[in-house]
Amino acid sequence: MIKTENLTKIFRTDEVETTALNKISFRVQPGEFIAIMGPSGCGKSTLLNILGLLDNHTAGEYYFLDMEVSKFSEKQKAKLRKENIGFVFQNFNLIDELTVFENVELPLIYLGYGSRERKRRVEMVLEQMQITHRKKHFPVQLSGGQQQRVAVARAIVAEPKLILADEPTGNLDSAHGEEVMNLIEWLHKNGTTVIIVTHSQRDAEYSQRIVRLFDGQIITENIKEHIL
Amino acid sequence: MILKRQSLIQDLGLIPLIIMFWNYCKTTLRNIRRDKFYAAINIIGLSVGLAAFIFILLFVKDELTYDRYNEKHSRIHRIEADFHIAGKHEKFAIVPIPMGPAFKLEFPEVETFVRLYNAGNSLIRYQEKESYEDEFYFADSTIFDVFTHKFILGSAKNALTEPFTIVITERIAKKYFGDSNPMGEMIKTGSGNSYKITAVIDNMPLNSHLSYDALISAASTAHEAGVEEFNSMEPVRFWNIGVYTYILLHENSSMQSIHDKFPAFYDKYMKEIGDTFNASFDLLSTPLCETHFSSELGADRPSGNMAYVYVFSAVALFIILIAAINYMNMATARSARRSREVGMRKVVGANRSQLITQFLSESILMSLLAMVIAIVLVYVLLPDFNSLSGKSLSFGLLSQPEILIVLLGIAIIVGFVSGSYPAFYLSSFQPVYAIKGSTARGSGRSKGSLRRTLVVIQFFIAIVLIIATIVVKSQLDYLKNKDLGFRKENVVVLELQDSAFRSKVEPFKEELLKNPNVIGVTNSTGVPGRINWLQIMYVEGEEGMKENALILAQTDYDFIDVMGMEIMQGRNFDKNMGTDQEEAVIINEAGIKELGWIDNPIGKKIHHGFDLDGTGGRMLKVIGIVKDFNFISLHNRIEPIILFISEVPRFFLSIRIEEGNRRATLDFIEEKWNDFGAKRPFDHIFLDQSLDEMYQAEEKLGVIFRIATILTIFIALLGLLGLSSFIAEQRTKEIGVRKILGASTGHVVWLLFKEFITLIIFAFIIAVPFSWWRLDIWINDTFIYHDTIKWVSFAIAGILALAIGIITISFHVLRVASANPVDSIKYE
Repeated sequence: MIKTENLTKIFRTDEVETTALNKISFRVQPGEFIAIMGPSGCGKSTLLNILGLLDNHTAGEYYFLDMEVSKFSEKQKAKLRKENIGFVFQNFNLIDELTVFENVELPLIYLGYGSRERKRRVEMVLEQMQITHRKKHFPVQLSGGQQQRVAVARAIVAEPKLILADEPTGNLDSAHGEEVMNLIEWLHKNGTTVIIVTHSQRDAEYSQRIVRLFDGQIITENIKEHIL
Repeated sequence: MILKRQSLIQDLGLIPLIIMFWNYCKTTLRNIRRDKFYAAINIIGLSVGLAAFIFILLFVKDELTYDRYNEKHSRIHRIEADFHIAGKHEKFAIVPIPMGPAFKLEFPEVETFVRLYNAGNSLIRYQEKESYEDEFYFADSTIFDVFTHKFILGSAKNALTEPFTIVITERIAKKYFGDSNPMGEMIKTGSGNSYKITAVIDNMPLNSHLSYDALISAASTAHEAGVEEFNSMEPVRFWNIGVYTYILLHENSSMQSIHDKFPAFYDKYMKEIGDTFNASFDLLSTPLCETHFSSELGADRPSGNMAYVYVFSAVALFIILIAAINYMNMATARSARRSREVGMRKVVGANRSQLITQFLSESILMSLLAMVIAIVLVYVLLPDFNSLSGKSLSFGLLSQPEILIVLLGIAIIVGFVSGSYPAFYLSSFQPVYAIKGSTARGSGRSKGSLRRTLVVIQFFIAIVLIIATIVVKSQLDYLKNKDLGFRKENVVVLELQDSAFRSKVEPFKEELLKNPNVIGVTNSTGVPGRINWLQIMYVEGEEGMKENALILAQTDYDFIDVMGMEIMQGRNFDKNMGTDQEEAVIINEAGIKELGWIDNPIGKKIHHGFDLDGTGGRMLKVIGIVKDFNFISLHNRIEPIILFISEVPRFFLSIRIEEGNRRATLDFIEEKWNDFGAKRPFDHIFLDQSLDEMYQAEEKLGVIFRIATILTIFIALLGLLGLSSFIAEQRTKEIGVRKILGASTGHVVWLLFKEFITLIIFAFIIAVPFSWWRLDIWINDTFIYHDTIKWVSFAIAGILALAIGIITISFHVLRVASANPVDSIKYE
């Protein structure tokens, strides 16, 4: 599903050149659940953004669904992204001015679904996330856990092949955090490929494989089953 | 001792107060520095708005203080005439010559009176210097008892009592005598009489409705102006229109009591003759200070227009309102940024009222700063404003205490009003949320609804002004291009003021016609735009001849051809018909309608020029009907008019020339003018130009609307620029999220535009009926002949507002919409 060869990202300011990712090569098979770990500033989020086609890499190759996307235009990448990838963020990134229903509906609007189909799908996924009763509320009226459930609902409503989650439990207490991780595990069990970035060893335990980054390089790749 | 004083100040709480105030000043200045963009928008917008406000304030104050420099202004009234002739009212700003003295005789309320009679455009000579003056007036010697004048040389006493004495203004003294002393010198008028200068007075103030350059003693009139017996009380003189007359009432006397007693006066002096004509007379009067706004009186001095005072005042308020809205908008928009500060101040112990004080002082300081800049702007732009408004306001006016107080008051009110919403809104933040930088109140949707309302108000005003500008412009174009029933282009009009020259008008005409570029020449008592001679005649009706008052013009045989008018029925004047000279008359379509002659007008009789006993004069017969033509401005309906052949040469000479070679043709006419011994300079005017001048008031209104519109739009756009920048910034995260979820840049641009476009369209929807309603009233009240208000005007205004709105906001929208979403979502 994903293959990178010597993926490199360099940030340049006027005087300083920072290598955020240094020749990263790794693969993700369809249906895998991967956790990326590492200390702050090691390049986890940068890697996730590049994998999510939100950011461009500086050198190396990136194959998404067997397509080398380095040369893709913004438009092509945007199309690939909205059809195949769902995002979950630490700070939820819900739109305050839209209701729960409208937030979840957004990706479907951009994919051009008709309103009846949108309604059906949104209702379904809100049901799955158990927040149907909150669909007319605005994000600020919800608890953090509920907000993240909405964010997850939004990420999966278009049935993407890949879910990218950047510290999805970072802003939640442990009970809500566990709730969200259970949801993500449930997605994975239903066949979705999942990559999460996390600080938390407990969250990482849900995954099949942990990739550890340090200073922009992969230092270990553990298959969970092997450890256990 | 010192200690004691300090504790006193502390007791009064002065030190904390001063410290706190200083603290506010500091935060204000720092906020300005930190948010240069917003501060600049606020201050520039407010300064421009205030500058416009100051200009209008000066203008309105000047308009409203006309003639108030006269110490006795509250006791001075101008008396005016309302003649009823055959059912028609003719109102004049002038009254019969003997009315002033008769009033003094009959009404004990009258302390004294003064009459002013324009000496016409006369040639004034002193030694080698000669020049035409048209603001010389004959005046009673009492003028200095009525009006206030400052004497530079000489004194009011006996200045105008003797015949052949003259009082001149400083301007005329400078012009003819330079720096030498004019007292006792003799100046000559065109008639050859010499006048002794008995005093020099200050120039007339500009906000006086009278504007004489010199005053000639009324005792001279019998010799000079042909107005014999200025003091005759012969009954017939009460029926000749004549002179501006001002009466000065005794203290505690009222004009009303004179009006009440006037019927008896009429019976005594005027009734007998009035009855023979089926005519009567009503007294009108206007207090001196209101004469500037008197309207619709014949022979009135150029006057102001109260409607413009209202329009300008409204525009001033609009502009200030828009600038204040900008401030309010920006301040609330920036509230999230400021909320951290609010939270911290609350945490360290500020209470709500202190915060309110802080924000209010901040906005008042800001508007005071803007006021200072505005005053500088006024100083720089005053000469331009003067040339535009036709006034000569001086910057010194601003130092008058009442103006200063108004300006200070306005700055404080604007500061208070525009700062009040942010003050009460920001200070209400809960400290816990405020520190986090979020207001955390209610749902996202209700936020900014005030802001949206304010933007709608701004655009409503801007669109109304754009529509008004377009409609005024199209009405002006309509006036200039309307078919007037004659061809106004390429007609040169000369005034034949000199009777010796007038007597040579026929050979002069023949001489001019020798030039192939001269198409036709005609001599008449009036030309379109300057025909207003109303006379009583006997007109044929079903029951014989009956009095009627008709407007007339006496012409020669060529008038209708030269003017390019059209004969609808019957025939034009014809030299070969021997009888036309004596008895032919041509009447317009409006005339046959009014006189009930539609079926069979030709041959109908009009008796003109008879004596008091009804004998003499000419019996005229209708030979033709001329198509209606607008012989006065389009403000008025076309009245009945008759044209007939004049027995003597008349005042106006109209020359139709070829379009090309204008310069050469004019040179030719001037050469002949001089060859024929005209003693006056070749003063000519083109007919179309003189007609256009009738719409100067509207022209000026058009210019003012244009400027007000541009200013309003400018200030509103500044606000929009700031607001769009803020909203774009505020929605950065949302846009990032949307883009990650698959929104294209185009979609995001549309999303941001949509918000503003909706507001502009909403403003447009309410502006259209409002301006339609208002302008329809204006156009119908002002003009009898007018353009319909076209929907295109509204469409243009809407598109214009939308286009400039979009251009303004696109600057920020495009930046935000094309930003990398990753950067956007990291925003928090």
